[in-house]
Amino acid sequence: MKCKKCDSPKTVILRKKDYYCDDCFMVSTNHKFRACIGKNKVLSPHENVLIGLSGGLGSTVLLDLVHHGISLENTKKLRIKPFFIHLFDDNYKGLAESIIAQCQKYNFDVYVVHLAAYMSPNCQLPEPNCIPDVEENETRAFHDMLNSMPPSAATDFLLKIKRSLLVQYAKLLKCNVVFTAQTTNTLAINFLSNLAVGRGSQLQNDIGFCDARDEYVKIIKPIKDISIEELKYYVDIRQLAPVYVSDIKNGSMQSVISAFVSDLQENFQATISTVCKTADKIGEPNNEYVAHERCNICESDLQTKDLKLSALEATNLSRTVSFGNTELKQNLEKNADFLNNFDDFNSSMFPLINKYLCYSCSRNYSEMNQSKLPLHIRNKIND
Amino acid sequence: MPVPCRGGCGNNAVLKRPKTGDALCKDCFFWAFETEIHYTITKAELFNKGDSVAIGASGGKDSTVLAYVLKTLNQRFNYGLNLMLLSIDEGITGYRDDSLETVKQNRDDYEMPLKILSYKDLYGWTMDEIVAQIGRKNNCTFCGVFRRQALDRGAAMLGVKCIATGHNADDIAETVLMNVLRGDIARLKRCTAVATGSEGSIPRVKPLKYTYEKEIVMYAHYKKLVYFSTECVFAPNAYRGHARALLKDLEKIRPACIMDIIYSGETMSVKEQVSLPMQRICSRCKFVSSQEVCKACVLLEGLNKGLPKLGIGKSSKAKRMLEEYHAKQAQNETVLEDVVHYLNDTSISDDKGNKNCRSKKDSNKENTSNGETCSKNNCCGGGCRSKTNVDVATSNKKLDMLLEQYGLDDNSDEKNATKENGVTDTASDHSEDETPFNGQEEDDTCSAACGGISIGF
Repeated sequence: MKCKKCDSPKTVILRKKDYYCDDCFMVSTNHKFRACIGKNKVLSPHENVLIGLSGGLGSTVLLDLVHHGISLENTKKLRIKPFFIHLFDDNYKGLAESIIAQCQKYNFDVYVVHLAAYMSPNCQLPEPNCIPDVEENETRAFHDMLNSMPPSAATDFLLKIKRSLLVQYAKLLKCNVVFTAQTTNTLAINFLSNLAVGRGSQLQNDIGFCDARDEYVKIIKPIKDISIEELKYYVDIRQLAPVYVSDIKNGSMQSVISAFVSDLQENFQATISTVCKTADKIGEPNNEYVAHERCNICESDLQTKDLKLSALEATNLSRTVSFGNTELKQNLEKNADFLNNFDDFNSSMFPLINKYLCYSCSRNYSEMNQSKLPLHIRNKIND
Repeated sequence: MPVPCRGGCGNNAVLKRPKTGDALCKDCFFWAFETEIHYTITKAELFNKGDSVAIGASGGKDSTVLAYVLKTLNQRFNYGLNLMLLSIDEGITGYRDDSLETVKQNRDDYEMPLKILSYKDLYGWTMDEIVAQIGRKNNCTFCGVFRRQALDRGAAMLGVKCIATGHNADDIAETVLMNVLRGDIARLKRCTAVATGSEGSIPRVKPLKYTYEKEIVMYAHYKKLVYFSTECVFAPNAYRGHARALLKDLEKIRPACIMDIIYSGETMSVKEQVSLPMQRICSRCKFVSSQEVCKACVLLEGLNKGLPKLGIGKSSKAKRMLEEYHAKQAQNETVLEDVVHYLNDTSISDDKGNKNCRSKKDSNKENTSNGETCSKNNCCGGGCRSKTNVDVATSNKKLDMLLEQYGLDDNSDEKNATKENGVTDTASDHSEDETPFNGQEEDDTCSAACGGISIGF
């Protein structure tokens, strides 16, 4: 078998049927990365870019692609000024160390920040290339908060925490753009997870190329067109050493979805690309920041489609009638249309919704121990 | 320990609602269940006073509960609706023939007129015959597409304002997931609508859109409604099964996720640049279509021409198939012409005659081979029919499982019984969990055909 592009012997097989040699494969992967950035026109020359590193497959390859891009000395040079950040948790100290080592190989500085920084209102920039000491109170408060939720809510909330921290540190470092290393596989899983938690209206920001929910900082996903299959070859060829970690908690809906997508992909090779192509078609025509009220946890626009009746009202009514309101019963007997103008719903299913929180964050909030939220957030949502 | 009813009526609860987690007694559950459907109907303005409404009735739990609740609410809240039942007989032995008996029972119990239309009358094919042609894969495509149109035809005959179908919340969430997996953006956009239909077509409404399948089963059980609970004998191979399995797994973790998925579908918007197929009228049968010729006509044409795969898969394949077919037809015609020419022409040379003779033989051969496939198909149809047997036991197990999961028996002996042999029960529950929960719905149960096809014949 020969490479599709040149006549060298094949070394790489993609989608069980496409053959490439190492060189052609590397060129095409590099091109996917550059094309993704190029066609979306978000970067201006010499832009400060904060790059989030998790240490996983995607992040390892993104680091290598960026390094390769900025070390070019021709017209194709990637004209950005990169900053690197790693968000870590105590359980993965070893991971943080290996990321520092990874970055030093390329001569890059990396800021290592503990996730518990989310608990304090003002974050500070740590010394680069070292693991900061974090007060035990803070880390415990952070873990208590996540542990007070069921696994599905915690997995969803953790993504929002990471997003919020990336935005905060980007502002500290005067970066208007953040790169994250989600791959097609992660995005397909996140797409279905987003649907499952009711974030259908936020898909464009969470799954699409650019997350424009913050007024100043845009989060973009430059390797969103590269699949895990390709990343594995890339890592092998370049002899990189990723560390595999997953944010998905056991027993969560996200873990079920993740296993489901991998299984289906085995039998139907088009699954992941189909899901991602669908994601590209969802969203508003122009994804610009609009000054609306925003969710205090995920920064999503609280202004949603104007629907006469949605699953939100239906759930609220279910809760209301489950509490067997006798007054309601009598009114309904007198007037069949009574419910149409009824707005005294029992709000315990969705606290603070549409005023301070979006549908899904409100659902998470109702499932957690609310006193565990960081004080600065509690202050914002308690009037 | 008995759990008190959340409604504050002082009774003990008999079940825990999956949507909200509240425990209710029988009477409070009935009231809550019916009031929610009433809310959906009035808030979404599904009906107008004095309308005639056809209920798509399969005899399954969803349509039975729908018919019962609509009748109840119609009386209680004075909707002024003229309700009737509309059933489609797909001709599936061991499934539809039995379920139609249940529909007839409903007709008598609820005193509603019933109209039954059969695929055999409308299209000239029963599903048994179609499966004999197409095989066990993709047959749901035929059934779904034909049923959709059959309901339209039936509604037109009855002269009703709209068709109410028994799609429940689980069905809709499942459809959202399936359309994402299949990348069907047009259906993804419209599948969460509570009422669908455009000019020239009879609107469909889904009053049970926010009602959980589990609650429907519980309602039918406690109200002792008669329904038919067997999965269609042809359904297990449908792609929808994947989406269904995923949804069941998610629901086990967070039961509210069904509402969340529906909410996602309702609030998501599709980019304007994306071109969606326009709804129009089929140039052949004058029913609603998204293409020049509707899917039902394409599928039917395929069946009648002996190309059952015509409407399945990519349109490019279908076009190629048609070209081949026409080429073959043309070839047959030239053969015929030659024969005619041969018979008419008296002054023929010997070798010309030989040549014509040979082609005559060829055409004969073709005929016999056609005859062979036909008889083979008949055989297969017979074989399939004898194989289709009904498994009623599973549905009862399913109900038991539901009762155990969500039912809170206040004082019945059953509970003690399950407690005593709790170990074996949980084991059997588990095995039951692994088989996908298969209810029946009125239409679109199966993956409707993928991809648009526009072919002229």
